[in-house]
Amino acid sequence: MTIDAVYLLQLTLNGIALGLLYALVAAGLSLIFGVMEIINFAHGELLMLGAFAMTFALPVLGLLYWPALAASILAIMMVGFAIYELLLSRLKPDEFERSILITLGLSIIIIHVMQYLFTATPRMVDTQYGFEGIEIGNIRLTWTRIIGAGAAIVAFVGLYMVLRYTQFGRAMRAIAQNREAALMVGIRPRVVARNAVVLAAGLCGLAGAAIAPIQLVTPYMGQFLIFKAFALVIIGGLGNIPGAIVAAIGLGLIESWIGGFFEIVWQEAAVFVIMIVVLFVRPDGLFKRGGMRVG
Amino acid sequence: MKPSTILPLALAAALAFALLPLVTSSNYIVGVGISALIFTVAAAALNLVYGFTGLLSFAQLGFWGIGGYVTALTVVTFGGSFWWGLLWAALLNAVVALVIGYPTLRTNRHAFVVVTLTFALLVTLIARDWVDLTRGPLGIPDLPKPSAFGHHFGSTSQYYWLAWAFSVAMLAFLYALCSSRIGRTLVAIKQNEPLVRAQGISPMPYKLAAFAIAAAVTGAAGGVYTFHLGIIDPLFLDFYYMQTFLIIVIIGGAGSFWGVVAAGLVLSALPEALRFSADFRMIIYGVILVAAMFVMPSGVAGWLRERRIARLREQLR
Repeated sequence: MTIDAVYLLQLTLNGIALGLLYALVAAGLSLIFGVMEIINFAHGELLMLGAFAMTFALPVLGLLYWPALAASILAIMMVGFAIYELLLSRLKPDEFERSILITLGLSIIIIHVMQYLFTATPRMVDTQYGFEGIEIGNIRLTWTRIIGAGAAIVAFVGLYMVLRYTQFGRAMRAIAQNREAALMVGIRPRVVARNAVVLAAGLCGLAGAAIAPIQLVTPYMGQFLIFKAFALVIIGGLGNIPGAIVAAIGLGLIESWIGGFFEIVWQEAAVFVIMIVVLFVRPDGLFKRGGMRVG
Repeated sequence: MKPSTILPLALAAALAFALLPLVTSSNYIVGVGISALIFTVAAAALNLVYGFTGLLSFAQLGFWGIGGYVTALTVVTFGGSFWWGLLWAALLNAVVALVIGYPTLRTNRHAFVVVTLTFALLVTLIARDWVDLTRGPLGIPDLPKPSAFGHHFGSTSQYYWLAWAFSVAMLAFLYALCSSRIGRTLVAIKQNEPLVRAQGISPMPYKLAAFAIAAAVTGAAGGVYTFHLGIIDPLFLDFYYMQTFLIIVIIGGAGSFWGVVAAGLVLSALPEALRFSADFRMIIYGVILVAAMFVMPSGVAGWLRERRIARLREQLR
């Protein structure tokens, strides 16, 4: 088999774009796990709501991309706030199974209410950019993809800055590393956990809003993604945010390459095979875990 | 209740259930009865893993699907009989459970949940995308009803007796297991694993055995259910089934064998009786799940147990 360089480059770029999207979801899951030791099953539904928010915001705002993106992110952060205050704040620490079952119930409710209200028909949405893009040689990239990838990178840099240099982020890391010690120096776990959930919801909202102009929007779009995001969080090490991001981009690339040369079954199975191998070799994930790390 | 009171009760209930096709001639009601019996078996298997051993496993959905596909493929593609199909389904599932269980159970319970979940999704994707084997989204229609010793289980009520015999046998097996020394060890592992280790018992073989046995039982249940439907396609792996099993276990009371069995029989009949549309039913399931986790996290059986203990305390005071 001869490998066409342009084709390979195209696959690589697609893989990076896909990986960045996975990374946005996985980073949020990892953040919530780091701070609260729970797994949010409804995380994929936040992404789906973000995409739906984009499809509603764009026509209202005259197809302007940036204001619609901001509005969607804000809306999903509010949803995250409501989920925390109504459900997650009632969980005690070390109620892992209960957290999963509660967020699973929430995910069922969100998916089916959305399907009931807006039907399962896939939606498409147009932006001010339409299908315009730039061409480098034989490779074509639409603006919506470039902006989506760019926004994801900006979000990661922002997340790093927040966790590393602000009091807001330091409190999250403190709780993740040692809950009792954090309590003793006057950090309130409840407030920090709420902030973490809202922040993770914002990342998810960004992912959903960025994906809306690229893919079809359906009530089920979050479900398939979330399973992969879970696997990524395991591969990267639970609660390890950079680990999850690196694993996500790696997976995006691997899936894209496999998809270019092999049958689609292998593309979907890749993540699971990698996860089982990683669990055999390094049960705590590829990257060492020790409290929540940002760098 | 004491075993001496509950066993005759269970026997009477089982015999009463065997009479269902004689009482009604409606194929619809008998069909609902078949679903109720098989869902109860699958939920009891989940109870073995989650309720007794404390491992929240979403892989049951995958095992259910593998069981269905293996049984159907044994009959249609490989020309075997239905009974061999069930046996292969159970054996293959047990092997798969050991392969997944071993690396996963070495890690923590968080990783276990996530890996089992991803496994369930993987099976769905294989069912959909490995078209050469599973025929993809079109599925395998017109599965022939099985026969044994010259008797053909062609009609719905005849198939009901097959499902009934299967369910009673599986529930009896699971009950024997759960009330044996092995069952008590599993509960001990759930409650205090370090203490179990300190007693000189290695938890790993027990956990693996519970996971593999539950997988085998779930797979066989999936096989029986597929031939009731007469068709298998990727929808057989719909998350709806997992949610149903979970809700049965949680409402019945995780760790209570008879609580889960009773909840299984009632809860699988109830949505049929109320005739909700599919979407609406799922919304209600979701609400029940969230509400149950807040109001009675240990299910009806757990709630009754707590009341009994509270009454005992009153008397002793």
